[in-house]
Amino acid sequence: MKKTGFLYDERFLLHRTGPEHPESPERLLAIYRGIEDAGLLPRLTLMKAERARQEWIEAVHSVKLITRFEDACRSGLDILDNPDNKISSESFETALLAVGGVVGAAERVMKGELHNAFCAVRPPGHHAEVNRAMGFCFFNNVAIAARYLQHTWGIKRIGIVDFDVHHGNGTQAIFDDDPSVFYYSIHEHPSFAYPGTGREFEKGSGPGLGSTLNSPVLPGQGDLEYKESFENWLLPAFETFKPEVILVSAGFDAHIDDDMSDVHLSTACFSWMMKQIVGMADRYSQGRVISVLEGGYSINRLPELARNHIEILLGSKT
Amino acid sequence: MFINKSMTRDVITVRGEAGLFEAKEKMELHNIRHLPVVTANNTLAGIITDRDIRSALPSVFTLQMHDPQEVEGIANLKVKDVMSKSPITISPMNTLGDALLLMHRARKGALPVVDKQGNLAGIISTSDVIRSFINVLGIEQPGTLLCILAEEKVGEMKRIVDAITEEGISFGSILVANYGDVGKRAVYPYLLTNNVARVKKKLESMGFTLLDPSEWSLDKFTDRS
Repeated sequence: MKKTGFLYDERFLLHRTGPEHPESPERLLAIYRGIEDAGLLPRLTLMKAERARQEWIEAVHSVKLITRFEDACRSGLDILDNPDNKISSESFETALLAVGGVVGAAERVMKGELHNAFCAVRPPGHHAEVNRAMGFCFFNNVAIAARYLQHTWGIKRIGIVDFDVHHGNGTQAIFDDDPSVFYYSIHEHPSFAYPGTGREFEKGSGPGLGSTLNSPVLPGQGDLEYKESFENWLLPAFETFKPEVILVSAGFDAHIDDDMSDVHLSTACFSWMMKQIVGMADRYSQGRVISVLEGGYSINRLPELARNHIEILLGSKT
Repeated sequence: MFINKSMTRDVITVRGEAGLFEAKEKMELHNIRHLPVVTANNTLAGIITDRDIRSALPSVFTLQMHDPQEVEGIANLKVKDVMSKSPITISPMNTLGDALLLMHRARKGALPVVDKQGNLAGIISTSDVIRSFINVLGIEQPGTLLCILAEEKVGEMKRIVDAITEEGISFGSILVANYGDVGKRAVYPYLLTNNVARVKKKLESMGFTLLDPSEWSLDKFTDRS
């Protein structure tokens, strides 16, 4: 069995988005409950978040965005950049904790204290661009972790797998011309889903051409198409790229019962995907997987999805 | 939306006296398929397309079947020998709508834009029109497209727009297309939000049908068989 870290911090609940916003603190409570009820907590290394240093945030984001976000929270505004991005007075601090928590998990994996980790953070990150909050995201947790791995640990090849049902425009843009970060995303086709990017012909640019791989899935499609994309595109790509570390943008909103998309993925297929990811990490990355929560809004399904996710990281689910 | 807002002003042109190979090289260099042919004082004399050139030149596969004199004759062909001498043109004060209809009906990929004095003022091509439509659709901004089936009667659009506005959602664009059924319209609001689950439920509770994506089409309901 593997040594798996689980990052959960009650302060992640303090980013309040108001009633009826899908990106709610209840999501995290549902995830925690699923893991707790399955009796998994004693088998995990439980982690709390440390506040990120600003220099880590600045490795990806503009000082303008950081300042704008901090000022907005301080002055009691309730949105940042777009009405989607609801904030409360604690949101800036919470976002710093989310980044710090993910970076902390990456550090412990690199030090060999953990094989892998699941970071149940809020707010999510993969839509956040260099200078723009977007789609419930403020700081790009995964992108910052990737920069941290490059700068602090000298990692030369990072693989990112983003299975959130929405395309991770922020992550893609940040590493568009960076050949050392391979970004794979599978998501609902941009003509039918937010944010409208992630078409097959977006393949990276300059030296990064070929290290972005987008797999749009049509409304109504599901397990079959996801398995085909993993087998025909992701597995061969990572076989060639051989990432030293795999980061996962783990969004659970492609689930058939999640009303944020029209993709029909089963609970079993999420497990199947995660097994493929862990398998690749065992082959190429010394088992190093840092999985970070993005979307996923079905309060009824999140407990089982989180439980399976953790069990696959532990290596106890076959 | 006058043509002069969308046309390309720095037109790559060619003279009628130029050789066909010169025209061919210009097209390849600039990655274009239409060259307006101009006189010394910039009046339009014609247009030459890559297709005109291909039709005039022998295929490499049949080159050996031609006698040397004929090949030499081809090598000496000039732009003026092959160009369309009275091309369909459009004025800078025609509209984008005019250009769309004209390009569609005349099956032209580009129209030279000629001012009142007969001077070449620009060119409008499919790529200019496509750029305009990407902008109109708003699809380079982050958002989500919906498709709502509405009765073709006064007030339906207002109900849709009000329902969305009440949710605090901004519009990137809103398109209305004819739908197959008589008396129905397909309304496509492009919403600048990630958060459409609630508004979709609300629209359904108001009696609107949200069309299945497999039914979406901005195109006319036509029989193509």
